[in-house]
Amino acid sequence: MSKLTTTDLTRRFMGLVAVNKVSFSMDEGEILGIIGPNGAGKTTFINLVSGIIMPTEGKIEYKGRDITYMPAHERARIGIARTYQLIHPLENLSLLENVMVGSIFARGKSLKAARKQAEKLCAELGLENLDRDPSRLTILEVKRMEIAKALSNEPEVLFLDEVMAGLNADETKDLIATVQKIAKERKLAVGVVEHVMGVIRELTHRVIVLEAGELIAEGPYEEVSKNTRVIEAYLGGAA
Amino acid sequence: MAVKRQKAITWALGLAASVAILLWKPTVLIYGLQTAGLYAAIAIPMGLVLGIVHIVNLAHGEFMMLASYATYFACKALGMDPLFAIIPTALVTAAFGWIIFQITIRRALKAPELNQLILTFGLAIAFTQVINLMFTSQTYKMPLDYVSASMDIGDLTFGTWSFVFIAMAMLFSFGLQFFLTKTTTGKAALAVGQNPRGAAIVGIDVYKIYGLVFALALALVGAMGALFLTKSAIFPQVGSPFTMKSFCLVAMAGVGNIPGILSASILLGVAENFLRAFRGTRGWADIVFFVLIIVVIMSRSLKGRKS
Amino acid sequence: MNRSTSRIITMAAIAIMMVLPAFAGDYPLQVARNVMMYMALAITWDMLLRSGQISFGLAGLVGLGSYATILAVVRGGMPDWLSILFAGLFSGLVAFGIGFFILRLRHTYFSIVTLALGEIFRIIIHNLHDFTGGPEGIVIQQGVMFGGKSGPLYWLTLAGLGVALAASYWFEKSKFHFALTAIRNNEVSAKTSGVNIFRWLLATFVITSAIQGMIGGIFVQSYGFASPDSVFSADFTLLPMAMALLGGIHSTVGPILGGILLGLVSEWLKLQIPYGHLVVYGLMIIVVILFMPSGLLGIARKAGSRKSTDENQRRAV
Repeated sequence: MSKLTTTDLTRRFMGLVAVNKVSFSMDEGEILGIIGPNGAGKTTFINLVSGIIMPTEGKIEYKGRDITYMPAHERARIGIARTYQLIHPLENLSLLENVMVGSIFARGKSLKAARKQAEKLCAELGLENLDRDPSRLTILEVKRMEIAKALSNEPEVLFLDEVMAGLNADETKDLIATVQKIAKERKLAVGVVEHVMGVIRELTHRVIVLEAGELIAEGPYEEVSKNTRVIEAYLGGAA
Repeated sequence: MAVKRQKAITWALGLAASVAILLWKPTVLIYGLQTAGLYAAIAIPMGLVLGIVHIVNLAHGEFMMLASYATYFACKALGMDPLFAIIPTALVTAAFGWIIFQITIRRALKAPELNQLILTFGLAIAFTQVINLMFTSQTYKMPLDYVSASMDIGDLTFGTWSFVFIAMAMLFSFGLQFFLTKTTTGKAALAVGQNPRGAAIVGIDVYKIYGLVFALALALVGAMGALFLTKSAIFPQVGSPFTMKSFCLVAMAGVGNIPGILSASILLGVAENFLRAFRGTRGWADIVFFVLIIVVIMSRSLKGRKS
Repeated sequence: MNRSTSRIITMAAIAIMMVLPAFAGDYPLQVARNVMMYMALAITWDMLLRSGQISFGLAGLVGLGSYATILAVVRGGMPDWLSILFAGLFSGLVAFGIGFFILRLRHTYFSIVTLALGEIFRIIIHNLHDFTGGPEGIVIQQGVMFGGKSGPLYWLTLAGLGVALAASYWFEKSKFHFALTAIRNNEVSAKTSGVNIFRWLLATFVITSAIQGMIGGIFVQSYGFASPDSVFSADFTLLPMAMALLGGIHSTVGPILGGILLGLVSEWLKLQIPYGHLVVYGLMIIVVILFMPSGLLGIARKAGSRKSTDENQRRAV
């Protein structure tokens, strides 16, 4: 069943078209890669879908419901969660308290219930010493915390914006396994933005390719990576 | 197209309103424009600092107050006319502003916006209270004949001296436009304002530019401090409404829009003088800027929601 | 500074406040009343600051509450007790109306509009002089509450401080803590976690403004008189800000600490330099924000954490 679809989604910034008529859909249990050269509009696309910015044109539907102009905090409540490329842990809150925020506000749980839920999530993601200050975590722990925080929304659709960036090979492998596990157990639809193609190949069932805001290819990674237009886009981006 | 038409309608309405006021109460328009000149000339330096250094200086009006006091006592001691003090005061205020920038504001540029606001608020209080401590809350005024110059057209009489503020506002506006687009330093300042990181990469000393722009803005504030003294009595709190009104005007115009400050000032100046023209509404004139800023905020947030 | 130390400070402060009227004379009690009033304002100012919004409108809200109380008593014949609660309610309602507009755009805009609030309320009081008494002010004819006895007035002020403390403590222990911290850290990521930013900010602004207005009501009931110059005095904005910043922001104990220190110093300063004591607060705000932005509490915390890392290292060795 299709969880999230966009139709001709477009966003312009003063004449510059950052996302241009992108139509796509994401199904339950599917891990979708969102790839493309730098500046292709991947993050803008996630910002549009999660409601951080509003589209200029087009339509976003979540489980058949039109959410094109729904404010971000309401989207969090109906089941859309995301992580950020630049992670800002909440200062003055412990690791555990950081993970409670989604339960409290997106789910409306009491502090006690949220604490319990956060403990469960942290255990699931292998986070320990939960009263630590987030500034003292390792990179891998920060990434896990960010994922746990997103999961505390109890989402059905989750976007991961470059969560693997800055990790070494072992850590990356570790986190790929984690993401696959949580996606499977929760039947999540996951959208993943990554630059490392190895990650995309291993993690995703299907990819969409953006270039200059437009969707230029779609399909399983093996197929798309042979597409001449995609290769050109990447070479052009590299040159 | 729609935007253009909207602009044309705004202009037409503004023109119709001013013609109506001119026919009915000509002094409202004349004094309104004079007030607008004063407001714009004081707000333009604040816009400059906000546009390039990216800080809101809550001690803006207080710097002008200091300049006025300095001019007053210098002129008193030397028996000089404040008009001759304009350039020296500008230079002294610029130097003073540069020093204050280096020892305080510069340190807070990387701190959160919150710290900058509290810091410049602290500066404003310190300035006001130092003057209060030294000269008490007594008012001081320069007795000058030429200030009461007036003009008669038919049976209409109005003061003419305050037209000097309009001239000043025009001078600042065109002067800054020239500085920012035609001189090397000005172009560098503009680049820093738009993208400090990029400017640093191409070798511009960003902090030097910040200090320079702050000093330049304070030179204009200092000049206005001397000129303000010709017309008005001064007291420790005299600057604070100008801080708020300047911010109101800069916010209405939008950051980096100096001509916008001029038209916003006209709106504020004419509206205030319109209320001053009637006995019943005279006391409410100083509330206009507050209403304007709320209206601006509301219309922006509505527009933001639409797009 | 760890939690138990800050609890000890709070407890000690409360204990001193409770026993003070038993042996202190009229003058020390009046000093204590002033300190408590400013401390209550410092705490409420900090409560809003926890969301990253700075209000420069303390004096405006204190003045608003003062006039609400005195006008309710003088023009409406309201009982003294009720008039203080009315001040809180009225200030809260006004804050709701204003906040509804100005909290849509935040940070600098919000701060500067609050800076203008005192001026705006003052103009309104001036212009409605038939009702408000205008610039000369207005007097409660039947006199000060409790006949001006310093003992009961002390308890009244302490009750006001109690409300502020209870609210601040509630903020620290409830969803407010999470909401405001999330908003202060990063509004975008707060939204993504489902925080309705506008609603939480509005609630915080209304609650803190209501308490500030109530403190104004207590002030005016203690002195029996209100004029624009006395109730919109810059003291009401500056001293609480300086207290909270000195003690350490984003906490309850910081403003208490700063309040005790600066409160006593300020009463002394008022006697030493009656016309310029505010300059000290201005300079203090500048120095604190530049050199110790997290206040005394921050310094204590840093010292504490250095100690604990030392211990950890020793253990590791």
